[in-house]
Amino acid sequence: MRFRDTVKTSYSSVRHGKLRSFLTVLGIVIGISSVIMLMSIGDSAQQYIIGQVKGIGSNLIFVIPGGSHGSKFSAPASAFGVIIKTLAQGDVNALEREPSIIDVVSQVNGQGRVVYQSNDTSISYTGATANYFAVRDVAMDKGYAFTPEDVASMNQVAVIGPTIAKTLFGDINPIGKSIRLDSASLRVVGVAEKKGIGPGGADQDNMIIIPISLAQKQILGINYFNWLTIKANDAYNMEFATSRVISVLRQTHRITNPDKDDFTVRSMEDELALLGSITGAMTAFLTAIAVISLIVGGIGVMNIMLVSVIERTREIGLRKSIGATNSDIMKQFLFESVMLTSIGGLIGVFIGVTFSFLISIVLNKFVSPDWVFSMPISAVVIAAAVSSLTGIVFGIYPAREAARKSPIEALRYE
Amino acid sequence: MISVKDLTKVYENDGSETQALSGVTFEIKKGEFVSIMGPSGSGKSTLLHVLSFLDRPSGGEYKYMDKDMNSLTDLDLARIRNESMGFVFQAFNLLGRLSVYENVELPLLYSDVPIAKHDEMIKNAVSSVGLSEKLLVDTSRLSGGEKQRVAIARALVNSPDIIFADEPTGNLDSKSGAQIMEIFNKLNNEGRTIILVTHETYTAQFAERLLKMKDGKLESDERIQKRRRGQDGLLK
Repeated sequence: MRFRDTVKTSYSSVRHGKLRSFLTVLGIVIGISSVIMLMSIGDSAQQYIIGQVKGIGSNLIFVIPGGSHGSKFSAPASAFGVIIKTLAQGDVNALEREPSIIDVVSQVNGQGRVVYQSNDTSISYTGATANYFAVRDVAMDKGYAFTPEDVASMNQVAVIGPTIAKTLFGDINPIGKSIRLDSASLRVVGVAEKKGIGPGGADQDNMIIIPISLAQKQILGINYFNWLTIKANDAYNMEFATSRVISVLRQTHRITNPDKDDFTVRSMEDELALLGSITGAMTAFLTAIAVISLIVGGIGVMNIMLVSVIERTREIGLRKSIGATNSDIMKQFLFESVMLTSIGGLIGVFIGVTFSFLISIVLNKFVSPDWVFSMPISAVVIAAAVSSLTGIVFGIYPAREAARKSPIEALRYE
Repeated sequence: MISVKDLTKVYENDGSETQALSGVTFEIKKGEFVSIMGPSGSGKSTLLHVLSFLDRPSGGEYKYMDKDMNSLTDLDLARIRNESMGFVFQAFNLLGRLSVYENVELPLLYSDVPIAKHDEMIKNAVSSVGLSEKLLVDTSRLSGGEKQRVAIARALVNSPDIIFADEPTGNLDSKSGAQIMEIFNKLNNEGRTIILVTHETYTAQFAERLLKMKDGKLESDERIQKRRRGQDGLLK
């Protein structure tokens, strides 16, 4: 039988039972559209995160107190709330003398209650040196960022994010207004520009930045730092700058055995790799679930094809009586199965692409304007190939059953 | 054209054996119109299935156009069925979802006949059974007589040497049955060999030769009409 005739014969069978064909491939449609959507959203998320990280500045290095001695991505104890007091002003001074480093931002973090008139909310705040805004690329929408003088004089000022501005002030302009953060009364001097969801998933606009001197001495009563953000000199590569940061800190902390490091250094590249591996793992996990749904869909196709073979036993007998070989019958039923799953795959790709596009529009509007639609061609190619392959894998058994029928027994079938 | 010698067929079912054919011996010449009659279970349909290569005998010898069936593979049998044999069944065995044209085309799909020739061959076959005006009608919408005529057109489309018909009038009223038998008569007059299984005496009388089966054996082989034929099978 010619290939053209196999296609024609299979198409005629598929077309004849449109509703049954549609129900048969529904599992494939759902499976493929899920794979497409997950791969598209995963890819968009990855691109968004990379964009966000690059926006913050890919030449940043972070220092966190406490050592992390596991894998590259293990977090130090300080990341889980353990108080470690090893990062001090001496470290900052030593780092500032290092030629591969341009700037060092000292930071402390705290949790507190912020109040404006009758509105209040709990919030994570940051005490930072004035270079925080330049190094972390935080621009002002209203007012100004506090200055080194504000930090030196321990002025009671604050820069707030647009989310907390909305929570506390609604539509009122917050500039010049007084808020209370725990024991401190602060004057809002600046409102930062909207940044959206950060690479770690947190709202970057729900924040308060205050002078580090104020946070350390008046609110927290400490003299160490929770975090250093270091801007590397572009003239040096990041790997070198990172290694220099480690060397300097080992010197100031008098550490000779690297296993005893009491600090953790991460570059933005490390963060990028970590986030990439997390989103990659999530995409792989969700794709695995989608693949399971494809297998379930495939079993559905096999089930219906087996029923179809039984229902069409006399047709098989007739075809054999007029000259069809086992191979002709096998090809006909196998092609029917592949045609069904491929049509399901095409519908799935169409639905997947359409929904991915609609979801990206929603995320772009409500999460961040930086979220863009991304459809990896590999996802479409893989989906199309997998759907056809599903047809072959799950169609081969029913097709063999059809081909093995003896012509006379098939003709006698009631 | 057909030569069978000591043909036997035994069916095995759940450990028990049924002797469907036993020691059947006869010859059929090209162009003959042969009826096979017998009561239910006499083995007439089994004989037709073996003769038409749909089933293999358990023993004995069967030569079709000097080819020994025992030496032919399943692939050879399929090719011979396609190129040299035509089939007409009691239940028509048409594909109801397909049109008359598409049903008649079926044997051509499994043949080496170039696609360019299909259209003409299909139209000729359909025209020979008088259904040209229903060429594109779905066969599910035809009457019983029309369906059997489509089945005959399908059997004819490959210009077979022989036509096997298994109770072709069994599902038809007497008028339609008579029309179908007239078509067989015409085909035979054109030189086509026809082997027909029936339990109706009226239908069997259209043949020139009658084989009677009983209990799997050939009970009688009698010539019921005298027809003189040349080597080509055509009537003189």
